[in-house]
Amino acid sequence: MTTVFHPLVKRFLDGELRLADLPPELHAEARAAERLLGAVDRTAVTLPAALEARVMAEVRRRATVSTTPRWWHGLIASREIRVRYRLWTLGPALAAAAALVLLLTPSRSPVGAATPVAATAPESVFVRFVLFAPGAHRVSVAGTFNQWDATAAPLALTGAAGVWTATVALPIGQHQYAFLVDGRRWVNDPAAPTVDDGFGRRNSVVAVGAGARAL
Amino acid sequence: MGTRTDGEIVRAVLAGDTEQYAELVRRYRDRYARFAARMLGSADEAEDVVQEAFIRAFEQLQQCRDPDNFAGWFFLILRNRCLAERRRVVRAGPGVDAVTVPATERADGPLEQDERRRALQQALLELTPEQREVFVLKHVEDLSYEEIAGRLGASVPSLKMRMHRAYDRLRERLKEIL
Repeated sequence: MTTVFHPLVKRFLDGELRLADLPPELHAEARAAERLLGAVDRTAVTLPAALEARVMAEVRRRATVSTTPRWWHGLIASREIRVRYRLWTLGPALAAAAALVLLLTPSRSPVGAATPVAATAPESVFVRFVLFAPGAHRVSVAGTFNQWDATAAPLALTGAAGVWTATVALPIGQHQYAFLVDGRRWVNDPAAPTVDDGFGRRNSVVAVGAGARAL
Repeated sequence: MGTRTDGEIVRAVLAGDTEQYAELVRRYRDRYARFAARMLGSADEAEDVVQEAFIRAFEQLQQCRDPDNFAGWFFLILRNRCLAERRRVVRAGPGVDAVTVPATERADGPLEQDERRRALQQALLELTPEQREVFVLKHVEDLSYEEIAGRLGASVPSLKMRMHRAYDRLRERLKEIL
């Protein structure tokens, strides 16, 4: 006796066909399939409330231990200006993007992208995000610097066709980000390195600081 | 005060209000517990894995690109933890599998139905993790192929292929009682 299900019975198992849709000679097999699905245990599983306490105890411990990464301590005082700017084309449908990083110092005016944002954040860096996205209606940049809030940093369409830009003051440090096009499509910056987010996707990375080199 | 969205909570946690994370734990602690229990064949192991997943999610929260979809993002973390745990158990060798998902509130069912249920749970553990995952999501969590594809980032045809292989393996394994 064969022990594989007939393709039609598999579709029956998938819920795509009813028993009445099957030829009579497959009914016995379909009933075996029904018994298989009838044995599926869908009972809810309730975990003990203590789990929350255990998780939060560990979360509090890790939140306390977690501090600013050591490697960019002391990167704040430089008066150098380093610029990173690249424009990439990704294809006809989409995008080219780049981030322009302008290091600011407490006493120096913003270079190239004067926005009032930086005045309140002397340890910040202006990062100019550029995305070439012809045909897009809306573009924003979201990342770890704005808690992935896709409404916080919209890009504006510049005079050049399809070129969107935004200048954002970022704290010194490393940030992960991505562009959101038309509110639904995430696009990485092809001009920037990416890191695996650990869950099957990649995020672009920009590291800004006095010691930063062109990325 | 209205219920805060997952996105609002995630942003609050990222802004330093760590205690808000407890609300996410409460929201999703049980929602995915059944998935983990069926994937691992043990409610106790599911508890450990769900706990690990929440801690890992907290540590990686900055990488949650779409805070309003915390649930979907957390599910992927949990799923990866389940697959890793399952591989670890398999590497540990035979004899460690014990189907201990409590057959609660089943006393009213006929005995053979209980036996079939236990046999199926054991047989599920003998599928590949990828086959088991799609079976559990479709037939335990009652998701459509399209919903599963959205969660896992896989195509519907590839999911169907996995599932259909799973059906055959289960039939072979359970041929005496089906």
